[in-house]
Amino acid sequence: MKEYRKLICAVLVLSGGFAAGARADSETIAVFTKNQTNPFFQAVRVGADAAAKGLGAKTLHYIPTKPDSIPEQLSQIEDVVVKKPSAIVFTPVDYKAMVPGIEKINEAGIPAVNITDRSAGGKFLSFVGADDYSIGLETARYLLKALGGKGNVVIIEGVKGSLTSVDRVRGFNDALKENPGTKLLASQPGNYQRLQALQVMENLMQSNSQIDGVLAANDAMAVGAIEALDGANRKAQVTGINGTREAIDAIKSGKLLASGDYNGFVQGCVGTMIAIRSLRGQPVVTEIMLKPTVITKDNYQPYDVPPESRVCPSWDEVAKVGTK
Amino acid sequence: MTDLTKQAFAPPRSMLSGGALQIFYRLLAALLICVVLSFLSDSFLSLGNILNVLRQASLMFFIASGLTLVILTAGLDLSVGANVALSACLAGTVIHQTGSPALGVLTGLATGGIIGLLNGVMVTALRIPSFIATYGMLWVLNGLTYWYMAGETIHGFPPGFRQIGSGYLFGLPIPVYLLLVFLAVGTIFAQRTTWGQEIYATGANPVAARLSGIPVARRLLLVYGVSGTMAGLASIVFLARLNSAEADIGESLTLPAIAAVLIGGTSLFGGVGNVFGTFVGALILTLVLNGMNLLSVNASWQPLVTGVIVILAVSVDMKTRRRTP
Repeated sequence: MKEYRKLICAVLVLSGGFAAGARADSETIAVFTKNQTNPFFQAVRVGADAAAKGLGAKTLHYIPTKPDSIPEQLSQIEDVVVKKPSAIVFTPVDYKAMVPGIEKINEAGIPAVNITDRSAGGKFLSFVGADDYSIGLETARYLLKALGGKGNVVIIEGVKGSLTSVDRVRGFNDALKENPGTKLLASQPGNYQRLQALQVMENLMQSNSQIDGVLAANDAMAVGAIEALDGANRKAQVTGINGTREAIDAIKSGKLLASGDYNGFVQGCVGTMIAIRSLRGQPVVTEIMLKPTVITKDNYQPYDVPPESRVCPSWDEVAKVGTK
Repeated sequence: MTDLTKQAFAPPRSMLSGGALQIFYRLLAALLICVVLSFLSDSFLSLGNILNVLRQASLMFFIASGLTLVILTAGLDLSVGANVALSACLAGTVIHQTGSPALGVLTGLATGGIIGLLNGVMVTALRIPSFIATYGMLWVLNGLTYWYMAGETIHGFPPGFRQIGSGYLFGLPIPVYLLLVFLAVGTIFAQRTTWGQEIYATGANPVAARLSGIPVARRLLLVYGVSGTMAGLASIVFLARLNSAEADIGESLTLPAIAAVLIGGTSLFGGVGNVFGTFVGALILTLVLNGMNLLSVNASWQPLVTGVIVILAVSVDMKTRRRTP
């Protein structure tokens, strides 16, 4: 039975190969993202589509129906190895667990670009990402500067054990160390969930009569914390991370101080650009770390448009920005 | 035949007589947590914090109270979280499009109720086990919500509407009034009405219930409909409290709600339990989180602490119950 399956796979791969050969003028880029729920990955997909459209290529999206599901992404990889797209732009749902999947892609000889979360193994043309530590650090520095380097601060962490949360919180803590006048009252988990962050903030307000600043590991939690503060008629400076549209609106209305920008749109653009350039034999860069931007009331304008109407940066800009 | 009938009706009767005692044991665990916390934290016993805990418990209670009826019939509704997410997103859209909070509330309740009735139809007419039917429904709803929201967030609602979630009346948060109302309605409905008694009988022994003339299918349809409608109500309170909704808000709601029902003493095998117990269950889960935040327990340890306290809370109840004749 297994032999049969292998045979069928081989036939499909071959026919897929011929099919790809027949329309070499239009490359198909398979884009793997982690879920359909996080606006960040929606921005990645829109960025990938924009870049592919600009270069005359097509995209094919692979998204687990259960958010961040390891088995689902693995089976999607098996699917893609059979369909054989020209190249793959890949975000692992888990940076360790997906390594065997990437090895399958490598074996199938499909070129792949790693974006957003760095895979612990496998071969990639290049990596495009923004590092969570610097985003956490820069966002926290901005908040602490706004507080004048003093005051009581609380941290609302993301999902415990997730790399993104660990690194962002490490960035927050290092910024706090640079400001000895500030006091960290508590560092509590909100699991990247709005409701949990609201409740954590409500609880922390019970035990702390004076909270001046809130560092939340994503925007949904930052906005949840603001709702809690509003509900109790209390004021504090709050920052989030991701630069979501909701956060931009909150920055515009003065409720949110700032949001660290992870820029999913540009990550999607650049990852796809690298994949297509490499297929066309144009030079690429092996690693691009986008510089952290802290979105504030002074610089939110370029972000205040839906991702669909945003434009990918040019390759020259990209090669310049944050090349390591 | 008469023996069967008696058997079918026995659990609710004993529920009424032994109810007070059982409720006392459930409360004991919650009170123990309160006593410990009041020693550990100065801010725990403040009026502000007590109202805070009640308001936080209310959202879980709305979902869990409807679920209690389902579990009393020996069924399960795994779709409640996904139901909250879709109902909240649709209600939010309607408020944005029409500017009418009333229409939004109606949409949320109706969406929740229709989803619940669909679950009921699958369980009764199609005879699909409730676990599978509502598990399938969970995925259908998630799919619809993800597709509909496409990663976006709906946010910003009129202040009047937001009162439902964040407002106060005579010093008490509005969700706490809703909690008290549904606690009373749920208790009276389950304990004092024929329909409520028939639900217990259906859960205790469905064959006997059918033989004694209870319209089992209609009662099942009712409990799934109520469970769905309560999820719809939770979605409205969620929207009003958080001023926004996205597709993944439901994922973290289902399991704690089921846990609240079971911690509250309702049996997964049906026929035993009550809505007040579920309230205490929701209270225990909320108190644990509140306490950990007040005491600033390290984030890494919090899941472990939650697990240990939940197990301890139920074992206190089981132990004391066994000692009583």
